[in-house]
Amino acid sequence: MATPQAPSQSPSARLQELLTTSQRIEELSDSEGFEDAMEPASAQAPPSFPKLQMFTSPLRDELVTDSSAIEAETLDDILPFLEDNPYDFELNSFGVPKLQRAQHVAFLRRALGNYPAQFAAMDAARPWLLYWSLQGLTCLGEDVSEYRERVTYTFSAAQHPMGGFGGGHGQLPHLAGSYAAVLSLVIVGGKEAYDMIDRKAMWHYLGNMKQPDGGFTMAPGGEEDVRGAFCAMVILTLLNLPLDLPPTSPAKIKGDETFLTKLPEWISRCQTFEGGIGAAPTNEAHGGYAFCALGCLALIGSPKEMLHKHLDVPALLSWLASRQTQPEGGFQGRTNKLVDGCYSHWVGGCWGIVEAAVQGSNDGVGARLWRREDLVRYILACCQGQKGGLRDKPGKHPDAYHTCYNLAGLSAAQHRYVYDYEKSTGAAAAPLSAAFNWTVADVVEEEGKIWDEDDTVNIIHPVFVVPWGQAEAVRKYFEEKA
Amino acid sequence: MTSYASDPAWADIEPLPQDDGGPHPLAAIAYKDEYSEAMSYLRAVMAKNEMSERVLGLTERIIGMNPAHYTVWLYRSRVLAALSYDLRTELAWLNPTALKHLKNYQIWHHRQTIVDALDSADGEQAFIAGMMEQDAKNYHVWSYRQWLVKRFALWDAGELEIVEAMLQHDVRNNSAWNHRYFLVFGRDDGVVVEQKTIDREIEYAKETIRKAPQNQAPWNYVRGVLRYAKLSPASLKEFAAGFAPVERPEDIKSSHALDLLAEIYAQEQGKSEEAVRVLDLLAEKYDPIRANYWNFRKSQLGSASAAA
Repeated sequence: MATPQAPSQSPSARLQELLTTSQRIEELSDSEGFEDAMEPASAQAPPSFPKLQMFTSPLRDELVTDSSAIEAETLDDILPFLEDNPYDFELNSFGVPKLQRAQHVAFLRRALGNYPAQFAAMDAARPWLLYWSLQGLTCLGEDVSEYRERVTYTFSAAQHPMGGFGGGHGQLPHLAGSYAAVLSLVIVGGKEAYDMIDRKAMWHYLGNMKQPDGGFTMAPGGEEDVRGAFCAMVILTLLNLPLDLPPTSPAKIKGDETFLTKLPEWISRCQTFEGGIGAAPTNEAHGGYAFCALGCLALIGSPKEMLHKHLDVPALLSWLASRQTQPEGGFQGRTNKLVDGCYSHWVGGCWGIVEAAVQGSNDGVGARLWRREDLVRYILACCQGQKGGLRDKPGKHPDAYHTCYNLAGLSAAQHRYVYDYEKSTGAAAAPLSAAFNWTVADVVEEEGKIWDEDDTVNIIHPVFVVPWGQAEAVRKYFEEKA
Repeated sequence: MTSYASDPAWADIEPLPQDDGGPHPLAAIAYKDEYSEAMSYLRAVMAKNEMSERVLGLTERIIGMNPAHYTVWLYRSRVLAALSYDLRTELAWLNPTALKHLKNYQIWHHRQTIVDALDSADGEQAFIAGMMEQDAKNYHVWSYRQWLVKRFALWDAGELEIVEAMLQHDVRNNSAWNHRYFLVFGRDDGVVVEQKTIDREIEYAKETIRKAPQNQAPWNYVRGVLRYAKLSPASLKEFAAGFAPVERPEDIKSSHALDLLAEIYAQEQGKSEEAVRVLDLLAEKYDPIRANYWNFRKSQLGSASAAA
């Protein structure tokens, strides 16, 4: 029986890591404080290991506090991976470890397999395991159509009769589970997978999550935060559901008309004094919630129109730029927190949307706002596990969550996602069609290309985070059905 | 533990076994018999919408095996409400569970539901303080704390003092800075923020910056305060220049001071050369990883959206 357990790890350490992350994606919070023992660094670096330029700042305060102490400890764990090649990975032509594609594929295929009893705590997060694995596999160029039938019936058991998906049979519907389920079905694609979704019940369920203040709760009686808004709008868009609220919606009862009523305004309230975006109004700015907020706006209208109308863009840019850590090159989720591979996507994915909002506002540097090469180096040198899978940082175990979002971040760095404003036809466009106007361009060497063809992952949709073309396919299917 | 199947108290319930949807479900978990059985009984009572003491016992047992199960928590909340259960007892039961599973969202949301229904914040601030000793940046605990302050109007109930003590301990704790901003500028009880409060906050941020000028948190804070008060950043020009003497680059102590100076110059008439110089210092020496961003800022000089 395949389990995602690497032989070098004790089951309990592995379990703790997995559980921590499974809760984290549900929460989009951090798992700092779960430091596992360092994995053994195998061999000395070959003398020929080329040193890439590593940026450091000469500025450092003397005052030591908890935050600076853990940051320094973390850097001690990470530096060997930036300066050397402890796992003896083969290097690419730029001197960076190659993408260990075959190992990651094997890791993710195992993650779709069976789990032993001590994984019961993952019971409510199974839709996520499917999404992370399938998305990661397609990002690595794998064909996942062989899983179509099994994905379809696995989720048929998790679909709630009143609409939406729970973690499994008999579980209450939840927006996180519904989002992961719909995306998984979209990734495997095909009529059978699409038609399995009870769209009418889903529309009712989403209506019940819509709140009079404009936002969405994650579950009936559950928390209201920007994940809810993003997940709900992704589902509405992909399934081409009506924008009108169903009569039972608490927002409708209060007199609101559509899913969009007060929504951009609610998201606007989530931008904090730092310029970033928190889970809900007044909460601390956080990379995960920032992606959900920007994604949500980019579903409703073009990045330029929506971001400038509802956010303080210069403040957002300043906050976003500050998230790239030095010298690691990866992203942290909040001010004075630690670098973590999952933010390769949560923060890295924000850049495409923000760049599209400032696109063409000047010549020359235009869309070049962040250092792609440093993120790529952090992912390839620090986040690849010795035996496959990607991770938060050296010292942590790989898991499906970090594998998926490191790869999505790699895609954000390796491809330039550009918004086609010609295609966007303003008021005449169909509702929720704004996210279907993206195109993609190559990143060239002058822009910091430090990867070879072999290290390049597939393009993904910058808002839906599914393989390029799959979002368009499902939308077209339901438009034609209407 | 005895099984439900052999317990006469549960004889009226026909358990509802898990439907896996097909022969080879993905990411299937080989549950222990005890967990499987308890879940089968939960599905059965949920299908009947049963609200009873025995269901509380059942949810407690499942939570013991899997505290990350949102369905069980949400259903437990409904049962508690339906039975008008003693919520103090519930809270007492919840405390050790919460301490054991600090990162678990469900527990915090459940707590919020219970405390809301109790209509009393008694003991909550002390409980949170205990939690924060273990993890001073836990996102859920801070969100819960904000909810508590709003729900029970605790704006002046010692919160600012607590935050101050936390910042005294770690000036880099950005969650504490965020809470401070919330307490001072996020009040929803109609209290107007007076000029002396704004002055006090600017002074507090400055004082903290002096302890560690490369700490971004108080810089972000003070810029937020200026924006709130619609004050020009130029009022901090001299202060920022103190940490970033452009004429003596070797004495520069803070990239955040440079950032603020660049913004101030960008807004000043005829100072774009100075702005360029500061942004070059950032891009080339003091914050090279953000060179592209600083160069973008340069490209925006003179345009309407120059202020960042």
